[in-house]
Amino acid sequence: MPVDAFLARMPGSEPPRASSSGPSSDGPAGRRTLALAGEATLRRRLIARDEQALVELIEHASPWLLGLTTSMLSDQDEAEEVVLEVFATAWERVGALGDEHDALLPWLLRIARNRAIDRLRRRRRWRGKLARAEAYGELPADRVRAPEVDEAAQPGWHVHQSVHAALDRLPPEQRQVVRLAYFQGLTHSEIAQRLGIPMGTVKTRLRLAFDKLRVSLAGIKDWIE
Amino acid sequence: MNAHDWYIENRAAFVARSLEPGEERTFRDHLVRCDECSREVARLERELGWLPMGVPPAAPPPGFSRRVAGEVLDRRWRWRRTLPLAAAAVLALAAGGMALSEHRARQDLGADLRNRETRLAAVEDTLSVLRRANMVLQTQISMNGHSQGGMLIFQDATSHRWCVIVHGLPPAPVGSKYQFWFITETGMVRSVEVDAAMERPAFMTLPMPGVPAPVMGAALTMEPAVSRSEEPKGPMLAHVVF
Repeated sequence: MPVDAFLARMPGSEPPRASSSGPSSDGPAGRRTLALAGEATLRRRLIARDEQALVELIEHASPWLLGLTTSMLSDQDEAEEVVLEVFATAWERVGALGDEHDALLPWLLRIARNRAIDRLRRRRRWRGKLARAEAYGELPADRVRAPEVDEAAQPGWHVHQSVHAALDRLPPEQRQVVRLAYFQGLTHSEIAQRLGIPMGTVKTRLRLAFDKLRVSLAGIKDWIE
Repeated sequence: MNAHDWYIENRAAFVARSLEPGEERTFRDHLVRCDECSREVARLERELGWLPMGVPPAAPPPGFSRRVAGEVLDRRWRWRRTLPLAAAAVLALAAGGMALSEHRARQDLGADLRNRETRLAAVEDTLSVLRRANMVLQTQISMNGHSQGGMLIFQDATSHRWCVIVHGLPPAPVGSKYQFWFITETGMVRSVEVDAAMERPAFMTLPMPGVPAPVMGAALTMEPAVSRSEEPKGPMLAHVVF
């Protein structure tokens, strides 16, 4: 929407002017775009206990965390519980994150996946529902219909496309093992049993797949702005 | 094949979490002792960090962000409320002759100190935006034709960030949210949702939007809570331009 059209929606108003306390290089005189601080700024604000930063992080990350946990757990309520736990953990621990750690979103995704796998395993152990997991053989996205988002407007959608393309480039037998192990939390023995192949083959396929994915995903940068 | 080869061979499986539960525990114990494996596992986790985004996103239910933020912050306060009880329990244990390990306490204190130092540095960084501000913008917020609080923007041209303070706004009505926008030469750019509460100002430190067009000002609108539109749809409550 053009700015003029937007401003025109404010009836009878001349926009208030700035009360300047000094010269600005970012105002009309300078007319240059202010630089991005992005993820690092967000992390710094979280560490400073900026509650608004927490809201921003939740807004940015929730669709991806919910997509992952819903697809893994096949349970919307449980998926939301896990996402809540992830943000609670992040809020408490972000101050202890050093520079050597990875970006915020991969960190959150890793926590979410681990929590989801923990729940899946508890579910299987306690309820004896291994068959439930074995019944699924496709990508989580194929078996779970989470509430859809407006893809074009979703920040980070290009990352999803890149990752999806990287998975698609894997040989089918390697992709299948990645799906079962990484996205459904099955162990080697469970995968071997399901696919009817030796455990050593499972390990080899997973290792080969990860070697390729490491290369394919290397160019992806953080998209939080 | 020596014993360590098993760990090397199973690093990928550990990261994928496809080891059997017993193997996973063994591997985890090994990581505490083995710098090489610990480093390699961390590297692999970093390199595969985006892999979970192979799953499509899901639309959060209405009000999800606000609800989660509320829960997370409330947990923190619950923890603080229970802190005196926990402290009393620790004292009681100490009085009963049970001493905590000095080494462990020292480690915890060290970690806490580092954490606080990091937080202090971050707070100082945020305050520096206020101190260095070369321009202060202010405007009233108007709701239903009545003045309702105001918006202050401190512009720091050195770090190219803004501190934005919104005060005097009531919480957004159910089903709505306050949305902050940047006004650029080419259009409006959605920024953050403003979490308003009448009794205290909302305080935000914002980087500039990632668009090539120069920033000319800012606006505050009320939008449907579920909206992720890149264009403002709801009524404008305030705007300011250079």
